[in-house]
Amino acid sequence: MNRQAKDISEMKCCFFDQNTTKQFIEFLMSKAKVIAPHRKGEKSFSFQETHNPEEVVLNYNRTIQPIKKFFMPPRETLLEFELNGKPKVKKPEIKIEERIFLGIHSYDMKAIRLLDFSFDRDKPEANYFLRRQKSVFIGIAYEPDEYHFAQDLGIDVYDTTGFSLFMVPAEKGFLIFEVDETGHRYLQEFGKGLPLDAELQYERPEPTKKLKMHYNRLPQIFSHVYDSPVWKKVAERCLGCGTCNLVCSTCYCFDVFDEVNLNIKEGTRERTWDSCMLNPFAQVAGGENFRPTLDSRTRHRLYRKFKYLTDYSGELHCIGCGRCSYFCPAKISLVEIINELIEDYNRQQQHAAVTVS
Amino acid sequence: MENVAREIKDLYTPVIATISLVEQLTLSEKRFWIKLPRNQKLNHHPGQFVEVSIFGFGEAPISISSSPTRAPGFELTVRRTGRLTEKMHQLGVGSQIGIRGPFGNGFDVQRFKGKDMLFIAGGIGLAPLKSLIEYTLDKRHDFNRLIILYGAKNPSEILYPQEINEWTYRDDVEMHITVDRPDAQWKGNVGVITTLIPPLELDLENTIATVVGPPVMYKFVLMALKAKRLPDVNIYMSLERRMKCGVGKCGHCQINDSYVCQEGPVYPYTRIKELKEAI
Amino acid sequence: MSARKKSQKPKVAFFDFTGCEGCQLNKLNLENDLLGILELIDLVEFREAMDDKAEEYDIAFIEGSITTPSCVERIYDIRRRTKILVALGQCAVSGGINAMKNNYPLAQVQEEVYGKDKYLFPSMPAMPVRAFVQVDYEVRGCPMSMPEFLHVLKSLVLGRKPEIKDYAVCVECKLKENECVLEKGMFCLGPITRAGCDAICPSNGQYCTGCRGLVSNMNKNGAIEMLKQHGFSVEEAIKRMAMFNTNELVKEANWGNR
Ligand SMILES: Cc1cc2nc3c(=O)[nH]c(=O)nc-3n(C[C@H](O)[C@H](O)[C@H](O)COP(=O)(O)OP(=O)(O)OC[C@H]3O[C@@H](n4cnc5c(N)ncnc54)[C@H](O)[C@@H]3O)c2cc1C
Ligand code: SF4
Ligand code: SF4
Ligand code: SF4
Ligand code: SF4
Ligand code: SF4
Ligand code: FES
Repeated sequence: MNRQAKDISEMKCCFFDQNTTKQFIEFLMSKAKVIAPHRKGEKSFSFQETHNPEEVVLNYNRTIQPIKKFFMPPRETLLEFELNGKPKVKKPEIKIEERIFLGIHSYDMKAIRLLDFSFDRDKPEANYFLRRQKSVFIGIAYEPDEYHFAQDLGIDVYDTTGFSLFMVPAEKGFLIFEVDETGHRYLQEFGKGLPLDAELQYERPEPTKKLKMHYNRLPQIFSHVYDSPVWKKVAERCLGCGTCNLVCSTCYCFDVFDEVNLNIKEGTRERTWDSCMLNPFAQVAGGENFRPTLDSRTRHRLYRKFKYLTDYSGELHCIGCGRCSYFCPAKISLVEIINELIEDYNRQQQHAAVTVS
Repeated sequence: MENVAREIKDLYTPVIATISLVEQLTLSEKRFWIKLPRNQKLNHHPGQFVEVSIFGFGEAPISISSSPTRAPGFELTVRRTGRLTEKMHQLGVGSQIGIRGPFGNGFDVQRFKGKDMLFIAGGIGLAPLKSLIEYTLDKRHDFNRLIILYGAKNPSEILYPQEINEWTYRDDVEMHITVDRPDAQWKGNVGVITTLIPPLELDLENTIATVVGPPVMYKFVLMALKAKRLPDVNIYMSLERRMKCGVGKCGHCQINDSYVCQEGPVYPYTRIKELKEAI
Repeated sequence: MSARKKSQKPKVAFFDFTGCEGCQLNKLNLENDLLGILELIDLVEFREAMDDKAEEYDIAFIEGSITTPSCVERIYDIRRRTKILVALGQCAVSGGINAMKNNYPLAQVQEEVYGKDKYLFPSMPAMPVRAFVQVDYEVRGCPMSMPEFLHVLKSLVLGRKPEIKDYAVCVECKLKENECVLEKGMFCLGPITRAGCDAICPSNGQYCTGCRGLVSNMNKNGAIEMLKQHGFSVEEAIKRMAMFNTNELVKEANWGNR
């Protein structure tokens, strides 16, 4: 699954016009449940099950929630139990259904591969992997907006790793690239695309240059900025609302609690997504809070993305989707924080150089 | 991936165990002897913990306070502080609870072989250390000196009077106990636990110190041990954090990059030095 | 916590103080859903409670704020007779909208509310229940939040501490993947308001007016900064916040001292 796919210029490709694209979505719906971006409210998007190909929105900037929600739902019943008499527990069955995820941006795909690592580490979690299997992903190229910085983190818009097919918007339709065997089978069976042999003309978006340093250097920077004044500065504006974690593509922290039914006879043990930015996250019974300040919590959030997990997986655990910054009510920008940390690091280095000489 | 997922053992379903003995220790602490179905062994290491479930009341991490050498069955010492622990205190012999675990790493008993053992416990911190103390007593010939320092708030809060009595009268155990606030009957030491450290005569290279207590205690005990010049590599500490899953997923227990439920709760001091959030 | 001992049903009573009665109504609407739990409790009739027929209660729910000396007497009396006391709705929890009058001279309020009979009704600033007696649990909101009320009721009948949330409404809002109203150019107090209502207003496309009060450890300056970014003056922002939280703001957050 982690093998790096080849560049799309080496892949077989065909063309779908708008109508064929709709037919293709119908075809996919006949094969399995299709999940794709839909409109949500006035200005937002959300991954939903597709019931009507007309409702699929393929030119979206980002969904509110990442695809994680299909593998680790925002709220999930871990156990069912009876309260009367001897305790009886049952684990609800997780139905394994085939799902096709359509219209996925490359960074969201990368996030799933990072979550695979997190849920596998130490002790693999069945709930996640049961839902995760039997998923097919069909990617799509996107136009980075001011919040995307995936390219700055080394995730190309055309990175097809993990996908079966990859779509590139073209005039009056889409170019469809065959990435793997499954994708090949789908196209064979569908059999409607216009084959393309001629040299392909598609525009690659300009790489964004939002970060002031190459992403390879980020872990190193994070070894030097633990005590940076930047944390306090960010914390002055941060409300500790948790939004940045709750929309993050790679966050996976959760809370667990028991809830009983109104008849007080049965109950369930539930888990919901949680956030390390919230005041009670590290608080224990005696009232002791091990991360009581917003600056310590902000630091923890960023270190989780750029250092702590990276030390084990060798990958950055932020994929530059921009959700945290786009949805932050205080308009705190992750890119700006990182750039300030970079500047702080550079200042430190200059200072060190001066003291040495 | 398909078959892999099916084969993964579920992490969150507890086994149903039975309380076979309850003893009230202090006003707010009780100990429970727990038996697993079919008298299975828990197979734990001293210093590990389990997640205790009471359905409808939640789950809580509780240290195993008995030594694996005393299996089958194991002991939990529970302080009444909230939702689950209050309910636990209402349970009697025969009641059933859920158990997951053992979790965490426990003490590195192999490395401790042949050493002088210095146990330093504050308050309910004696619970996880009792597991290790009993272990060293049951394998007495594997260890050299056994020195136990225990600090309680007041004489009525001394956790295991029976055991402490036994340890006090054994001539192969050096038992020192102190209280912060004495009562009229108290004839022993008065003062915080750190006051017990300076008078000790230690073979520094061969002494292993294990420290468990409330969060405030660690800094001061460390200072006292450093003043004695005990090498850092010989110091171990067990830390408490908020925990939900016990299996390295929920994130609540993290100290910087370390999951206490996986890498801890017992840490060598050399590792704690790297963890800025630790103490 | 022994509310359920010896298979005796816990005695539960509801008391109404000065409120808008929205909370009471809200509860009555739910009696259908409550059928299951009504079998497990001994509900002291509202009128009976008024007549003080039931002498002792296991759980007393208090609605409304404390506004007169006779209210004070009554709340002391209830506290003496109940094992667990729960404040229901923002009036009981923080003085609520009633506390708005704290910002005006008392005489003026009395004039407006009671007209010329003002001297017959000695009034005092609207105070939360916890200003007088120990409150074991609080169900916030105006009207009080139903999911939280049910959770508290179920937990107390089961004999356990309820879990009262202390984080922002945004959390519940994001769990439901609502479109954020900020994105539509509205303002929203969700980021500093205590969750527990299941983000009911943003779920219906409305902004959160902060009716459940502030999260603890709130970042005051950050909140003002955020509201300014969304086009509010500091005064306007404080006014919006103060609607449900006058006592809290004065005491806990010390707004206005900026
Ligand atoms: C490794 C470890 C070993 C422990 N060993 C013991 C022991 O041997 N005896 C003992 O009495 N207590 C022990 N504790 C503390 C015990 O877990 C808490 O007192 C208990 O979780 C309180 O739960 P509650 O439901 O009664 O309290 P509540 O306050 O009602 O619970 C609130 C929630 O917060 C969490 N929480 C609160 N306090 C703690 C805490 N200190 N640590 C972790 N999570 C917490 C729990 O997950 C709980 O769901 C240990 C904690 C840890 C981390
Ligand atoms: S979303 Fe913004 S305000 Fe909220 S916790 Fe994150 S950084 Fe702070
Ligand atoms: S930290 Fe922000 S940009 Fe990075 S993955 Fe999470 S939500 Fe996306
Ligand atoms: S610790 Fe924080 S940043 Fe890391 S996964 Fe959990 S919530 Fe996300
Ligand atoms: S609508 Fe309000 S409560 Fe919901 S996420 Fe936006 S700011 Fe938070
Ligand atoms: S969303 Fe805000 S205003 Fe609406 S009920 Fe919840 S706390 Fe009150
Ligand atoms: S307790 Fe959940 S990660 Fe450690």
